[in-house]
Amino acid sequence: MQLYDPSSSGAEKNLSRAMAFATLDGKKIGILENGKLNASEMLREVADLFVARNGCTIQAIYSKSNASAPAPAETLAKAVAEVDFLITGLGD
Amino acid sequence: MPFDSHRIHDVPDDLLAAIDYCYEQGWTDGLPVIPPVVDRVQAMLAYEGRPPEAVIATHPATTLQLTVHAAAVNAVMAGCLPEYFPVLVAAFEAMDKPAFNFHGSTASTGGSAPLLIVSGPCADDIGMNADVNLFGPGNRANATIGRATRLILRNVFQMIPGISDKSTQGNPGKYSLCIAERARGNPWPLLCETQEYPEGVSSVTVFASGGFFNVENHGGNTPEQILGGVADSMANYGVITLGQSAVILAPEHMHIVAGAGWTRQDAQEFLFTHAKRSVEGMKSVGKHRDRDYNRQHGEGAHRLVEAGQMHRGMTPDDILITMGGGDAGGHSCFIPSWSRDRASILQHKPIGVCIDCN
Repeated sequence: MQLYDPSSSGAEKNLSRAMAFATLDGKKIGILENGKLNASEMLREVADLFVARNGCTIQAIYSKSNASAPAPAETLAKAVAEVDFLITGLGD
Repeated sequence: MPFDSHRIHDVPDDLLAAIDYCYEQGWTDGLPVIPPVVDRVQAMLAYEGRPPEAVIATHPATTLQLTVHAAAVNAVMAGCLPEYFPVLVAAFEAMDKPAFNFHGSTASTGGSAPLLIVSGPCADDIGMNADVNLFGPGNRANATIGRATRLILRNVFQMIPGISDKSTQGNPGKYSLCIAERARGNPWPLLCETQEYPEGVSSVTVFASGGFFNVENHGGNTPEQILGGVADSMANYGVITLGQSAVILAPEHMHIVAGAGWTRQDAQEFLFTHAKRSVEGMKSVGKHRDRDYNRQHGEGAHRLVEAGQMHRGMTPDDILITMGGGDAGGHSCFIPSWSRDRASILQHKPIGVCIDCN
């Protein structure tokens, strides 16, 4: 008996992680907050730790209008141009 | 040679062993599936005009794609007959619209289930149930189209419970949630008509639903009484948000509402007006947010929005209302959107036809 595999049969794309930094010292931070209650406050607390420990600067805060959808491509493109790394998170 | 032949699994020629094999591969929703043998998949594909490799939907985060072929495989596994396949294809075309946000609704702790509402002659053509036990078991088309939807989310888009599907408590509708709109005795235009499809064209509406609220009322005899009960469910502190709503009126209730001359728009406006909570009340349960209030009451606010009150949804058009269920019984239902905000907006597509396609 022959069975078809039910998983995605579409074109495969190569997705990979960004290269890790050798050091975080002095990097420019972006915050991507999703609009949920206390999201920006919590992310700001995290970013402040990098400021205190690594001398980073908080360069920009980006917002998503829809917490559960991927960030718009233009938001990500802007972040790529403006900051070295983004801090984001999802939760309730 | 069949399409994508490298994706074929050779298993012993034993049906029960094949069912067990599907379990072992993690391909099921917990219930047994029909093993997706090649000839059944080919029969399913015969009901779709596009080639098997045509893409129906794409996951916005992982870029995983749903092809016609993969949809057919999962439809076979769910137990669909081939004539159901165009409904499933149309449903995913609708879910693929960005505003539906099927990734968010499936991944969320909220436990959303995609509700499919089939409207028009297709429902009778394929033997769907729009009548007694509408949301219950017993009809193959309703049960298996809804189940195939879930299997695709799991097998194709890899929305795996506990991993990428983080529902806190889930929702029984996540096994299957597909109904037909009742045309028989329905005094209002069918959904496919209000959606302005050509005469004779059926549609499927997809709605990222939360849990199901039975609205019982055997004593009300006026539209205000019947819809007042519905509005009270919609204003429940547990669900009142800016999200959309689906209301399926039982025939008994519909006949009271429409029998008094109320149109769908009248009912939508009544429900929007009455499904509300005061700001103080919202604060008392810790659910008030200035941002939500300002969004509903700010520039462009609907004329029925009342100061100091939070209504459910943004406008009366956010409330889908139609009729379904058996003739006997004062049991309607309200189903809230999964979204507490505007993260998922209901969508629809025609079934089996291509209108204004690219």
